[in-house]
Amino acid sequence: MEFQKILVPVVGSEADVEAIRLAIRLAKKEKGKIWSVYVVTIKRALPLDAEIGPEIDKAESILDHMEILAEEEDYEVETDVLQARDVGPAIIDEAVEREVDIILMGVKYKRRFGQFSLGSVVPYVLKNSPCPVILYQH
Amino acid sequence: MRRVLGIPAVFSAGYGNVGSSIYYALGIVALVAMGATPVALGIAGVLFIFTALTYAEGTAALPEAGGSASFARHGFNDLAGFIAGWALMLSYIVTISISAFTIPPYLGFFWEPFKDSAIIGTLASMAIVFFLMTLNVIGIKETSFVNISAAVLDLATQISLVVIGFILLFNPTVIIRRIVDNWPAPENLIIGIALAAIAYTGIETMSQMAEETKQPQKRVPRALVMMIVAVLVIFAGISLVSLSAMTPQELASDWSRDPVAGIAANLPLVLLQDVLKPLIAILAGTILLIATNAGLIGISRLAFSLGNHRLVPPALSRIHPRFKTPYISIILFSVIAILILLPGFFEADVFKNMGALYAVGSLLAFMFAHASIISLRIRRPELPRPFKLGGNIKIKGRELPISALLGICALALIWIIILITQPYSRWVGLGWMVLGIIIYYIYRKRENLPLTHTPKDQEKNKKSDTPL
Repeated sequence: MEFQKILVPVVGSEADVEAIRLAIRLAKKEKGKIWSVYVVTIKRALPLDAEIGPEIDKAESILDHMEILAEEEDYEVETDVLQARDVGPAIIDEAVEREVDIILMGVKYKRRFGQFSLGSVVPYVLKNSPCPVILYQH
Repeated sequence: MRRVLGIPAVFSAGYGNVGSSIYYALGIVALVAMGATPVALGIAGVLFIFTALTYAEGTAALPEAGGSASFARHGFNDLAGFIAGWALMLSYIVTISISAFTIPPYLGFFWEPFKDSAIIGTLASMAIVFFLMTLNVIGIKETSFVNISAAVLDLATQISLVVIGFILLFNPTVIIRRIVDNWPAPENLIIGIALAAIAYTGIETMSQMAEETKQPQKRVPRALVMMIVAVLVIFAGISLVSLSAMTPQELASDWSRDPVAGIAANLPLVLLQDVLKPLIAILAGTILLIATNAGLIGISRLAFSLGNHRLVPPALSRIHPRFKTPYISIILFSVIAILILLPGFFEADVFKNMGALYAVGSLLAFMFAHASIISLRIRRPELPRPFKLGGNIKIKGRELPISALLGICALALIWIIILITQPYSRWVGLGWMVLGIIIYYIYRKRENLPLTHTPKDQEKNKKSDTPL
C-alpha cells in the first residue's frame, strides 16, 4: 500500500506527537506528502468565518509544534487551520478534497462514565472516511 | 485559515424556517384580511417571488453573511448597510417573539391554559426565549440532522394536511362564499398583504447560509427557486383548506395563533382528528422552537457580521472566553424579544401588532435588497453575476431588472401604509431605527470613522481585535 498523501488531524494531545512521527515514517518511503490540520469549531451563533483570536493562536501553536517535530525528522509537513461547525465532517471533507491515501489520527485513552470511549470524532471518521484510517492510541 | 463548509442542505434550512411561519402567518393575516386571507397571501407571494429572485442575484454575486445588509453595503455604502442590517435585526427579534408566542397555543392540546390563559401563555413564551438564550450562551451543539429531519417531517405533514383537507373539506362554493361575504376594506387588505410578508421569512436565512455552502453561486439561487415553488404551493393549499375548515371569524379569533391546529380540529373524521391533533401539536411546537432558535442564531451572526464591518459597536461581537459564543448579543436580543412579548399579558391585538412590527423591519430590509441590486447594476455592471435576473429595461446603457423595480415600488407603498395605519409598529419600528442611527453615529464618531465608508486598513476586525 502506498502512502503518497497522508492527513493527520491534530488536537494538541500527546498522541499527536506519535501520530505525526508515524506519518513521517510512512511517508518517507514513498516521499509522500503530509498535511496536518487543526479544526477550530465555530458555534452556530457565529458566522463560520468569525476569527476567534485565542482559538486561532492555540491552533497555530499546535501546528507549529507539528512542523518543528517534522523538521527534527528532516521532513516537511504542510499545516492548515480549518474552521467548521463539526470536527468529524471537516476532517472527512479535507480528506476528500485533498484525495488523501490515508488518515492517521492520534487517540488518547479516555474514559467516559467509567467506560472506555473514543468520543464522537473518531467513530465519525471511521464511519465516513473515503480512505483507510490508522488510529494511534497513546 | 480556511472555512470548511458543512451544511449542504440549504433548501432544508430555508424551508425549515419558512415552513415554521405557516403555523402562525395564516392567523396573523386573517386577523385583518378576513375572507381575503388567501388573496393577501397570494399577492404577498408575488412580491415574495420578486424578493427571492433579487436575493438569488445578490447572494450569487456576493456570497457572504449579512444578506440585505451586505448587498446595501456593496450597493451603496456603510450607512445603507447599517440601516438595512438594523432593520433586519428588528425583523429577526420579532420573529423570535412571534415564534415563541405561538408555541404555547399549539401545546394547548396537552394543557389548555397554554392556549386559553394570556398570562400562562405569555409567561411560557418568555420562558422559551430565556431557555434558548441560556442554551445559546453556553453554545449547546445543535446538529443539522435534527433541523433537516424536522424540515422534511414538516413538509410531509403539511402536504398530507393539504391533501387530506382537499379530499375531505374542499368545497369551492363554500370558500367563494366565505371569501366574498368576508371581504375586508381596501386598507385592511393592504395591511393583510404586509402582514403576509411574515409568511416568507426564509429568504434571509438562506442568504445568510451562502457562506456555508459549497458553490453558493449555483446552489443558493437553485434552493431559493425550489423554496419559492414549495412555499407558494403549500401556502395556497393550506390557506384554501383553512377557509374550508373554518369561517374567517373562527380563523381570526379561536385559531389565530394556531391556525393549523384549527384545521386538524375541524376535520370531519374523528379518527383523523385523534391522530393529527397531537401530531400537529408536537410538530408545530418543535418546528417553532427551532424557528425561535434560528432567529436567535441569525441575529447573533448578523450582529457579528455587522461588527466585523465596523457598523455596530464591538460589544455586540464580544465572545465569551469560556463558551466561545457572542453572549452579549444573544442576551441583549433575547431580552428585547422578551420585552416585545410583554403586551401579551394584557393587550388583545398584540399578535397583529407584532406582525406589523415584523413587516416594518423586513419590508425595509427587502427594499434595501432590491435597491442595492439595482444600484449594483448601475455602479458595477462588470460584477460577475452567476445568477442574473432576466426581464430588464435599458436605461442609459444599464440593464435594470423589472422585478426589482416593481418589488421596491410595491414594498415601499405597503411599508408607508403600515406606518400610517399602525401606530404601535410606527412608533416602535421607527423608534428602533432612530435609536440605531444614533448608536451608529456615536460609534462611528468615537472611532473616527466616516459615516459612509470604512477605510480599507480598518475594514475588518482582525483576530487581534476580536474582543474577549
